[in-house]
Amino acid sequence: MDADVTIIGMGPAGLQAAIHSSRKKAKTLVLGKMENSAIYPTELENYLGYRGGSGKELLASGAEQARSFGASLLQEDVISVEKAEGGFILRLESGKEVKSKALVFAPGISRKKLNIPGEKEFFGKGVSYCATCDCNFYKEKPVAIIGEASEAASSAELMTHYASKVYWVAKELKANQNMVDMALGAGANLVQSQPKTVRGDQKVTGLELEDGTVLEVNGVFIELGSRSSADLAMDVGVLPDPEGHLKVDEECGTGVEGVFACGDITGKPWQLARAVGQGAVAGLNAASYARSG
Amino acid sequence: MAGKVVELSDSTFDKFVESNKVVMVDCWAAWCRPCLMLAPVVEELAEELAGKVGVAKLNVDENPGISMRFGISAIPTMLVFKDGVMKEPLVGVRPKAEIKNYLMSL
Ligand SMILES: Cc1cc2nc3c(=O)[nH]c(=O)nc-3n(C[C@H](O)[C@H](O)[C@H](O)COP(=O)(O)OP(=O)(O)OC[C@H]3O[C@@H](n4cnc5c(N)ncnc54)[C@H](O)[C@@H]3O)c2cc1C
Repeated sequence: MDADVTIIGMGPAGLQAAIHSSRKKAKTLVLGKMENSAIYPTELENYLGYRGGSGKELLASGAEQARSFGASLLQEDVISVEKAEGGFILRLESGKEVKSKALVFAPGISRKKLNIPGEKEFFGKGVSYCATCDCNFYKEKPVAIIGEASEAASSAELMTHYASKVYWVAKELKANQNMVDMALGAGANLVQSQPKTVRGDQKVTGLELEDGTVLEVNGVFIELGSRSSADLAMDVGVLPDPEGHLKVDEECGTGVEGVFACGDITGKPWQLARAVGQGAVAGLNAASYARSG
Repeated sequence: MAGKVVELSDSTFDKFVESNKVVMVDCWAAWCRPCLMLAPVVEELAEELAGKVGVAKLNVDENPGISMRFGISAIPTMLVFKDGVMKEPLVGVRPKAEIKNYLMSL
């Protein structure tokens, strides 16, 4: 699949970017899951012209609008991005690849926390939020991966190359079947349950599940949601600040040629009005960049 | 070396900890993306806290001895010492102000 402009994120920032990019006649693709947008489950309170009204409706109508200008929308997570000749190559959770001249980061910020007893206490003592960082510390040890979406699937697959046993704890599977097959094919053991407590003494010794079963593990990897936007940004050479925000200039450029960003990922205030304002700027500039190249 | 992050190894670690009143050692590895996010903050801290805190980094990949000794199982981990005694480490990427406040409170 080829595009001029590929937008990572199907929230208000990404959809607004798609509207402006496709109106500039750039071949535009939007990736992500609309229901994962921060605004999806909420009631709008302070957005111009909307006194009440649901985030879900705003997004659905924005998606229609973007399609009407020619943008394509694909409800898929991006797993990785790399620089390539003439642009970038994105890999999606279904295994599809997209080649694009310009990129717009609009992945929002992750508010997902597991918040179970023991999680905070054992952070750094067996609890980790980054399998790619910490896999080496768990050679030949049993571990559990918690999470239902694509990031957990990748981590489960990765950990099978290090750990002695990998449990993948997910009540429901929200990752693409391709990712699930990859993780299970590599030897991860799916446990369809809800985690309840991280157990341990000085260090993690187990993960208790809702039915009282305890998985005897030394590591608990919490990998909720999609591949982190910080990781994706670093794939193409954009370094986020310690809060995970991507700094942008007035054009919504990131400092890396052909890479733009908009919305909550660029900083506070995390508000709809700011997200769509920046979306418009990023979409226009990404389209000009792609069409001039 | 004032104002610079000192690069430590398994063999130079103890001497550094002994010769500074307060010490912060950023344990990192090249494959760890959050470590790369933290690196510029550690550099700024070395400058801002020059003369007060000895700021250093240690590559855990090349120096497994220290990570074993301190039971490091997640990176980045910032090991912290005062008068040679280990204090609560900071795990994960933290904003500069938080790290600075913690070190200054010791
Ligand atoms: C409870 C609540 C109430 C709020 N109320 C208001 C309000 O009244 N007024 C207001 O102005 N703001 C409000 N906000 C803030 C508002 O929701 C955000 O500012 C806005 O949604 C930001 O838009 P965004 O497009 O940057 O990110 P989001 O809307 O969060 O969208 C992010 C998109 O990126 C996608 N994504 C993430 N990672 C990947 C990946 N790896 N691959 C592909 N896609 C990816 C997600 O699937 C999602 O589609 C509220 C937020 C919350 C949580």
